This record gives sequence, C-alpha cells and structure tokens, in this order.
Amino acid sequence: MPETLQNLALGFSVALQPAMLFYAFAGCVIGTLVGVLPGVGPLAGISLLLPATFGLDATRAIVLLAGIYYGAMYGGSTTSILMRIPGEAASVMTCIDGYAMARKGRAGAALAIAAVGSFVAGTLSVVALMLLAPPLANLALRFGPPEYAALLLLGLLVLAYMSGGSMLKSLAMAALGLLLGMVGIDQMSGYFRFAYGVVELGDGLGVVPLAVGLFGIAEVLLTAGQPTPPVVQKPRLRELFPTRREWRESVAPIGRGTVLGFLIGIVPGSAHIISSFVSYAVERRLSRRPEEFGHGAVAGVAGPESANNAATSGAFVPMLALGVPSGPIPAVMLAAMMVHGVSPGPLLIQQSPALFWGFIASMYVGNVMLLVLNLPMVGLFVNVLRVPYGYLYPAIIVFCVLGVYAVNGSVVDVWIAAAMGVLGWILRKLEFETAPIVLGAILAPMVEMSLRQSLAMSDGHYAIFLTRPIAAGLLAAGVLLLLLGLRSWIPFADKGADA
Amino acid sequence: MRGLKPIALILVLASLTGLPSVSAQEPFPSRPISLVVPFPPGGVADLTARPVAAALERNLKNPVGVVNKTGAAGAVGMQSVATSKPDGYTLLLALSSISIIPEADKLFGRPPAFTVDQLTPIALISADPTVLVVRVESPWKTAKDFIEDARNRSGQISYSSSGIYGTLHMAMELLSHAAQIKLRHVPYAGAGPALTALLGGHVDALASGPAVVLPQIKAGKLRVLAGWGESRVPALPEVPTFKELGYPDAEFYIWAGVFAPKGTPEPVLARLREGLRAAVGDPEFKAAMDKLETPIAFKQGDEFARFFAADAKRLAEGVRKVGRIEEKKP
Repeated sequence: MPETLQNLALGFSVALQPAMLFYAFAGCVIGTLVGVLPGVGPLAGISLLLPATFGLDATRAIVLLAGIYYGAMYGGSTTSILMRIPGEAASVMTCIDGYAMARKGRAGAALAIAAVGSFVAGTLSVVALMLLAPPLANLALRFGPPEYAALLLLGLLVLAYMSGGSMLKSLAMAALGLLLGMVGIDQMSGYFRFAYGVVELGDGLGVVPLAVGLFGIAEVLLTAGQPTPPVVQKPRLRELFPTRREWRESVAPIGRGTVLGFLIGIVPGSAHIISSFVSYAVERRLSRRPEEFGHGAVAGVAGPESANNAATSGAFVPMLALGVPSGPIPAVMLAAMMVHGVSPGPLLIQQSPALFWGFIASMYVGNVMLLVLNLPMVGLFVNVLRVPYGYLYPAIIVFCVLGVYAVNGSVVDVWIAAAMGVLGWILRKLEFETAPIVLGAILAPMVEMSLRQSLAMSDGHYAIFLTRPIAAGLLAAGVLLLLLGLRSWIPFADKGADA
Repeated sequence: MRGLKPIALILVLASLTGLPSVSAQEPFPSRPISLVVPFPPGGVADLTARPVAAALERNLKNPVGVVNKTGAAGAVGMQSVATSKPDGYTLLLALSSISIIPEADKLFGRPPAFTVDQLTPIALISADPTVLVVRVESPWKTAKDFIEDARNRSGQISYSSSGIYGTLHMAMELLSHAAQIKLRHVPYAGAGPALTALLGGHVDALASGPAVVLPQIKAGKLRVLAGWGESRVPALPEVPTFKELGYPDAEFYIWAGVFAPKGTPEPVLARLREGLRAAVGDPEFKAAMDKLETPIAFKQGDEFARFFAADAKRLAEGVRKVGRIEEKKP
C-alpha cells in the first residue's frame, strides 16, 4: 500500500504538469462532444484523433485518447435524455428512462444523475484499476469463447426483461434484432449473408446506423406525424437538480452499476455496451416498482450510465497490465503507444512507471474535470427543450445523418439509418419497443461467433460449456434466472419472494 | 458552441474523401493525393501509411493525405481505389490480403468486389514474415516438436487467426500443407483477439507478425518456434525459418505495398515510384518504422510486380486448398 501511494504521487507529479492537464482537458472536451454527437462514438473519435497525437509523447497521447473514451461516456447520455438519440451505443438504455424523465420535466435531474453517476463510477473504477489490475487481468484472459458465449446467453435472457409492455412483443423485437444482426460476412466460413452484392453490407448493418435510425430518426418521424406536438414540460430553474428522493433512489443503482460495469468491462470484447443493459435489467429486476421502468425510473438512468463509465476503466485492465488489446478502442490506444516507441506488454508497468501512473492519475483528474464540465452544462442543455419543434427536429435529422456518415464515411450507412428510421416509426406506431432490436442486433453476431468458436475449440463437443468452471457457473446462473421467471407464471406461487 | 467541433471534424473528413475531378494537362502532382488505407486507424496498414504519406509529401512537395476507407476486411477500400480515376491522385496502401479477397470471392462463386488486374503495383514498402508462437508453458520447445506432435495428434492442436482466409490463417495453412499436418483452426475477429486467445490458453498456437508478439516474448509469456521468412527475423536471430527446417513452401509475409488504379499514365507512375523510393530512405520514415519494429523492404516496378505475382499465386493456392468450409469433411 505505501508503495502504491508512492507510485500514485509519481503519477500525480506527471498528471498535474500544465501540459498534461491541458491534454487531459482536451480529451475530456473532445470526448464529451463525440459523445453528444449521435453516431460518432468513442472509437470513431479516437480513430480520427489518433494521427493528431503522432507528434506528442506517449503519455500525453494516451492521456488525450483515454479522455476521449471516458469523456464520451459522459456525453453520450445527453442526447439520449433530451432527444431519445443514443449519443453512442452504450447510451441506448438511457434513451428509455432518461427520455421519459425529460418528458416529465425531469431532464435536468436525469442529466445531473447521469453526470454524478458517471463521476462516481469513473473514480471508483480507477481505484480498482490501480489496485487490482495485474491479478484481474489474468482472470480476464481466462474468458475465452465458451465463457463469453455463456455470458452472452445471460445477456439474451436479460432481453426478456427489457420492455415495460408485453413480454411477447418484447421478445418478438429481440428476435427481429437477432435476425438483423445476421447480416454480413459469416466470420467462421467467409460467406456473405443477406448482402445482395453490396460490399458495404459485409460488415453487417452496424450498431450506429441501427440505433440512430430506430431511436433518433423514428422519434422525429413520430412527432412530426402528430397533429399537435406533444407538450413537453419545460423545466423550471429550481427543478433542474434531482430531488432528495431521486438521489436516494440513485445511490444503490450507481454502486451496483459501478461494480457490474467494471467487471464486465474487464472481459475482452465490446463490453461497455453490454454493461449498460445488463445494469438496466438488474435494476429493473431489483426494483420495488419495476412498473416505473420505461416511464422515467431514475434507477434506469443511474445504473446504466454508471456501468458504461466503469466499463471503460475495466477495459484498460488487460490493456495496461498485459498489453492485450481487449477491444477495438484499447487496440487503437495500444497502437498509439507503439507509434511512440513504448512497447505495450506485460512489462509496461515496470518499464514505464511514469506512463502507467501518470495515466492513472490523469483519470482521477479527468473525472473531476468532466463533472465540473458537465454539471453546469445541465442548465444549458435543457434549454434545447425550449427550442420549437419546427427548428429542433430538422437539426436533429442533420446531426443524425452527419454522425452516421462520419463513422465510416459511408453513404450506405446513411441509407440503413433512414430505413431503420422508417421501420422504427412503423413499430412505434404499433406500440412495439425498439430497444430490444438494437440489443438483439448487437448480441447476435457476438453470440454466434463465440458459440461457434467454442465448438471449433472442442471439435464439436458441447461438453466444453460444462467442463469449464466459469462458463458452467454463468450457465447455471442463467438457468436460475429462467426458473425464477417461470415461478412468477405459476399461479399461487409466492410472488413476494422473487421481487 | 456545442457541436461545432464535430462538424469541423466531419468537414475535414469529407474534404479528404470527396475528390475534385478537375484535370487538364497539368504537371503531376498539382493537387492533393489521397492514400487510401482499407483498414481502420491503428492497424499495421494505417501505421505504415502515415509515415509513408508524410515522407512522400516531403518528396513531392505536394499534400498527401491518408484516408481510412474501411469495411468487409478491406474489400470496400480496395474496391473504391480499383474503380477510381487512374490519374495518380488516388492511391492504395494494401496488405497481403489484397490477393486473398478476390480469390475467396471466386471460391464462393460471387462477383468479385475487385480483381488484382484492376490495380497496378507501384512499390513494396515493408515485408514482415510471420512467426509461430506458443505459450511458454506449452510442451513444444522447437518447431520440430510442434510438427511431430501435430502429426501424432492430427487435428488436436488448435490455433487462432485474424479471421477465416485472413493473413494469419493463410500462414498457418501454408505450413500445414508444407509439413503435411492437420491443425484445428479457431478464427477470431482480428489479430488482437487472436493474440488474446493464445495468451489466455484458449488455443495452442498462433502465426503472428513479430512486432506484436515481441513484448510478450521478452516478458516470458510466449515462445517463438520458427519464422515463415526467407531469412531470419533480425529481432529474433536465434529463431530458425521453416525453409531452414526443410519446409520451403511455408513462406509467408505480411507486406505493405502501394498500388494505383490500372491505366495510370506511365510518367505519373514513374514519378510516384521515384517519390516512394526517396520516401523509404527518409530518416523520419526509418525512425517511424523502427519504432514499429517493421523492416523496410523496398521493391518497385517489375521487381515488385514479380514479388506480388509469386505471393498472389501462393495465396490463391492456399485459399483453394482451404476450400469452402462446408465442403471439408471432419
């Protein structure tokens, strides 16, 4: 412990240099903007900025890029809450209850709770990263395809708890999402599926066009189709901040979201997306008033927003401790280190202590900056709701199209978003919830890939899921969850116990 | 103020992708050149392209911008250059996989996204042989151990790759055929996840570019058994090549080269070859490649064309030998 403090002091001596503060701040600001702009997520933001860091030294470059990553998690909630457009994929869940809160005039509260939750989760998970990185990283590596498949199966079960309305409708949407997720090159055999000769479809429909279309564009179409625009309660100044009750209801979800997000974040893969919706499902399951979910439950904002922030720190664990690219974003950051002549690997912490501890310290600093940056912005952002629809909605469409186009510079993506917008509009008219589609489409290729990888590893034997302890444990948890779900359908069963 | 910065970013991006098409009989180059990288930023291709572009820019005294046009394992970007105007202002930086993609299209009987005939090779920039790595705890101390064990336990030793028909898959297939062994393939989505799988013990072996695994070798996590190069990897002088071990057909490089659309006028190509030759000699370029531990291997014109043809032939054969997955009998 004293050694850790000594190291941390070294870290702060690096992180508090004026230049380093500047790069951390720049990263946070760019990250927030990247998060706010629909479509452009942290990966696109970091990729665009990577060449600009070639002139910096390694520590500055990493501090800047990491700032973009966790800054985006703060910014992503803003448009989700105000306009029902996920600023980036991990904010899809926030669209549901955050937006519902905004419609009730609680936009300020939702934004404030998202910011505070992100701060708490961001800071606590850096503590965990600092103290536990090496042992946890080795644990993370034990997550191979069978474990991942089992984890994702749990995720699929969670889909059933997603919507406030009918479970049948929700499952139908999840199934549609799983089907949409099948488009693209089959990663195990090289076949093009449902691509119809369009090379761009080889990578699938893409999470960004799907989410922006089904949420943002569909919402605009829906509102435009109404004879009189819906009355959104304009927030009054004294109502900007959360009430005592809202705070009380957020504390536990923030705590749970932090732990859950960090643990899921460590698992190699696109974990920050999954973390947010697992947290949402957990909160809904644990809530004493699950019927509030979908209609502005505070916990439905606090949990996922904390989880996606904690997951970013979690993702740095294998990257920093082992030099393993645990996801697309850490992969780009590792490349940035290599460009600067720092070879990322298991010896990084020993060989470049100033980089590692400077990075850790800068994340503490960055989270404070983001809180200071975001809380005053709450008052500014809610003013967006005062803009008349006639001006606001065309602007939203422009932002959606720009954001979707910017990710890959692909016009095909814009068309996908447009088509998904129309699909989302039809489904919403028919009172289907669209969140399960997005989640299904994210999960489908991951489930398929890890299931088939597992079977390739075992030469086709399903026993691999039972002989590996972590996989078997996760599957047992899934079975338990199913049984609990079934119990509530059995008449005369004690319903109080599983609430 | 909110949203202004992303718009600026997008405008920059848009200005890079959308090329003006004014062209009279002007001296080459007289407007910015785009070097298209069909892979995302941060990958081998991107990290090679950026110093190439910077050095070429200094030599031509004309802006050279890197454009990442990604998708479908590179097919999207390669196709866009293959079908763009052959005026020397749109160039492609491609990796070995450029000869695999059309071959895989052929295998599946689908119209190819592009063919290699649509592109003219200008110059080879770097070539890095893959190396065979296993975990330190594994029983194989030498490539001979590995191959013998694979013979005894046919189809039992597993390896990860960057994806089916990907470069790392092809390297392993070429070895399997050269040594008459059968290994179990578990494809991953990219070289990063493939390495993670090996380190986590989910597969037994991996063919990888040397630079990515060097830190893991130095840290005592991985052991390197042999290389696919014609000669040994400078950073790993004690590691033999498969050629030395008696498997001359197991030759494979992850290379990076610059291409132009077919039909680019010869004077323009000549100017570009000259510019690229100067670029690889540029000290800043050398320093950048040193940091990436990627050896420069410059070949141009006919020499590169021959290298490219031989490599394409090897890979095409490799793809055909792998065949379509559902045709393989267990």
